[in-house]
Amino acid sequence: MVKQQARSSPKAFYLILGAVAVVGAAFLYYLTQDRGAGAQAVTIDPNVPLPKAEGYLLGKPDAPVQVIEYADFECPVCAYFTTITEPDIRKRLVEPGTISFRYMHYHIPSHPNTWAASQAAACANEQGKFWEMHDAIYETQDRWAGTATRRPKPVLKDQAERIGLNVSQWESCFDSQKYQAQLMASQKDAEGRGVGGTPTFIIGKRMVGHNLSYDQFKAYVDSALAEASAAAPNDSAKKSG
Amino acid sequence: MSKRQIIALLAVLGILVASYLTLYKVGAIAELVCRTGSCETVQLSRWATFLGLPVAAWGIVFYVVLLALALTGLQSRFIDSRAVSMALVVWTGWGVLFSAWLTYLELFVIDAICQWCVVSAVLVVIAFVFSALDLRTRPALPAT
Repeated sequence: MVKQQARSSPKAFYLILGAVAVVGAAFLYYLTQDRGAGAQAVTIDPNVPLPKAEGYLLGKPDAPVQVIEYADFECPVCAYFTTITEPDIRKRLVEPGTISFRYMHYHIPSHPNTWAASQAAACANEQGKFWEMHDAIYETQDRWAGTATRRPKPVLKDQAERIGLNVSQWESCFDSQKYQAQLMASQKDAEGRGVGGTPTFIIGKRMVGHNLSYDQFKAYVDSALAEASAAAPNDSAKKSG
Repeated sequence: MSKRQIIALLAVLGILVASYLTLYKVGAIAELVCRTGSCETVQLSRWATFLGLPVAAWGIVFYVVLLALALTGLQSRFIDSRAVSMALVVWTGWGVLFSAWLTYLELFVIDAICQWCVVSAVLVVIAFVFSALDLRTRPALPAT
């Protein structure tokens, strides 16, 4: 009887097994290919000008390669990028003046405390300490994120104190939500650009919608540098012509 | 469907789940579909790598071996083999223990739950139950 059961319609069984495997593999392949705007690098639309005075800038505004990161403070991958990869980028690419690095907010709808974190950072910026707050917010993400608490303010306030802000000034700014319109403008800008997830990077003329290691990031920067230097003779020819 | 056929089907599903997590881990998939919201926390933790390879990649190895065992047990030469049933019980039993360890880490160390890891753990437990039932239907030969 066991034999009979085990041998029941083996062809049908292998067909089902094969079908599950093929459909699953095809779906996985689709996921690796279709990642919205954030798939592999795409060339950005030259008709949508890059923001010049928005976001938070690190480095020289006239650096040869302009990099923009669209990120969400509550996104674990962004925290991973910030703590693991970004220190190298700052030291090896921003400080020598190879790139400028601009942070722009893009809030993921499923992250309940991300807007509060963005407010906290915007209020720190008022006192000239955006990047200190940015780093502190990512470092403590597991304490103030929606998965940990519904009241992120106490943890964010601790960070304001830790980085040496005038806390009462920071708190009145935070409570007033005075930067809400600016944050929403950043969100609109990202949506208009086709940002679909975080982190998304614009490096020169390329948009990359996923986490990057330092080496991958550097490769995009090198490519942007090569493009810029290839375009430079044309520009100077135009100017002299 | 026989128990070994069900185990083979579970193994294929397991290969797909483990592949999904591995592709994310190596950066080929940008974001995980995750209702618990903590899959990325788990996948980016230091516990997501074991002996230099992503844990999910070890998962693929585990499920491929399980599939091979189950398919071997479906060949006419091995259809009544108690040894195959024993191997299935031992292999899935090991999988249950490893999944229990990973679930413990998620709950008490990383403090985040990855739904795909839970799916994999459930697949392993079901495969273990069917392996045990399969072994029960193949009694040991009486000692001579």
